[in-house]
Amino acid sequence: MSLNSIYQIIIFAWQSFWRNIWLSIVTITIITLAVLSINFLIVLNIITDTATNLVKEKIDFSIYFRQDATENQVLEVQTYLSSLAQVKEIKYTSQQEALQKFREKHQQDSPIIESLEELDQNPLGATLVVTAKEIEDYPEIIEVLNNSKYNDLILDKNFDDHKVYINKIRKISENINRIGLLASGIFIFIALLIVINTVRVAIYTHRREIGIMKLVGATNWFIRSPFLLESVLYSIIACALAIGIIYPLLNFIQPYLNNFFLTDDFNILEYFNKNFWQIFGLEVLIIILLNIFSSSIAIRRYLRV
Amino acid sequence: MIIFKNITKIYPPDTFALKNVNLHIQPKEFISIVGRSGTGKTTLVKILVAEEKPSKGRVIVGGWDITDIKSNEVPILRRQIGVVFQDFKLLAQKTVFENIAFALQVCGANRSRINEIVPQVLKIVGLAGKEHRYPIQLSGGEQQRVAIARALVHRPKILVADEPTGNLDSINTQEIIDLLLKINEFGTTVLLVSHNREVVNYISKRVVTLDNGQIVSDQKIGKYLL
Repeated sequence: MSLNSIYQIIIFAWQSFWRNIWLSIVTITIITLAVLSINFLIVLNIITDTATNLVKEKIDFSIYFRQDATENQVLEVQTYLSSLAQVKEIKYTSQQEALQKFREKHQQDSPIIESLEELDQNPLGATLVVTAKEIEDYPEIIEVLNNSKYNDLILDKNFDDHKVYINKIRKISENINRIGLLASGIFIFIALLIVINTVRVAIYTHRREIGIMKLVGATNWFIRSPFLLESVLYSIIACALAIGIIYPLLNFIQPYLNNFFLTDDFNILEYFNKNFWQIFGLEVLIIILLNIFSSSIAIRRYLRV
Repeated sequence: MIIFKNITKIYPPDTFALKNVNLHIQPKEFISIVGRSGTGKTTLVKILVAEEKPSKGRVIVGGWDITDIKSNEVPILRRQIGVVFQDFKLLAQKTVFENIAFALQVCGANRSRINEIVPQVLKIVGLAGKEHRYPIQLSGGEQQRVAIARALVHRPKILVADEPTGNLDSINTQEIIDLLLKINEFGTTVLLVSHNREVVNYISKRVVTLDNGQIVSDQKIGKYLL
């Protein structure tokens, strides 16, 4: 295909786009909605992941040792636990450190400090704070510890089962994801149908030109290409519009997300910036391919060349 | 040379448009295909430009058997056969120049080639100076001249005119026929489909008469018989 042909194809596609401008607008709008709904799903997934990770990070369990457990014994337990594959990290707090922390915490509470002074010895035991690699590992670690010879040294174990919260977050996000997927699927399906119809109308509008093109020996590809190009044009404009809508929206929700997660570390805008090409490049590519697919159906069905 | 060899065309379920038609057309010949409406004249043209495939028989154009032509070869054939119709098939929103240039544009011609060829064909058909007019600003005869000019841009060896004077008055008819004769004199084979007695008798060249899809007469210098 010569450069002149490519130029002509672009001109014909552009003319067709403007000749049915209202139809073009409707088509672009529905594709934009489809792209927006896909991005809504992406945002939702990021938020769910962040929420789950934040909860996960806060999970650990503390082992409070009896007052008479020696430092060596506690360190032995630490070594024993460290050898377990499920354990990610163990923090050791000695009796002295525990006391110091306790004092700092209750600095303003003079009755507590006074009663502490009255005691001859340190009432607090050493503590080990264990972080597991996976949330599912905690029950196993606790089980291993219960059946070990060190169980007698332990005064108490404190484990809040955050699994319930995580499961709740997952369940909610799965449900929203499912609804979102359904909505995206519906939007994409409608978009495909509309593209088919738009190309069909474009073919109908150009039936006279098409007839003449065939008559004077234009190649089949030359006749088909403007319609394919038109659908590519819809895809690009729709994706550009979607990007133009998404960024201000992300800017808008960013402070609310920071408030919700009580952290400034989470920046959804930065995530989109960092992964711009992975997210939007892929979306543009998929939308273009889907539109080429649907316009090919319309061309095959309605354009006899 | 165009050869129609034992051509039969059946439209389902059992309508015979052409029955066992045998026709040889020599290069540079002017041939009129005549007959009543529905006798298969246009079907013959459609088979020649590969718009229809014959149910039986073979079609050979310049040594090329186009009976089972592939769809990607059809444009090559159509650039060798110029076709004009009764309804001109012009684009109303394009000027005379643009209408003719359109045939070159869609085949990938560049601007300089278009600017070279279009004035040439406009001169041949006698429309020089009217290139910026729109079809609506032209008479029926002039519109048909534009259609002929468009058919000539690829310098075809064959020009098929399917009822080219069907929408024209007698003066315009005469002009168009004279133009077709002039094009034939330049060496282009002209295949005229007509049911206009005066036109065919005026031309005084080969006349093939079709009736009920069959050739009933083939005269070297013929008259309208039916």
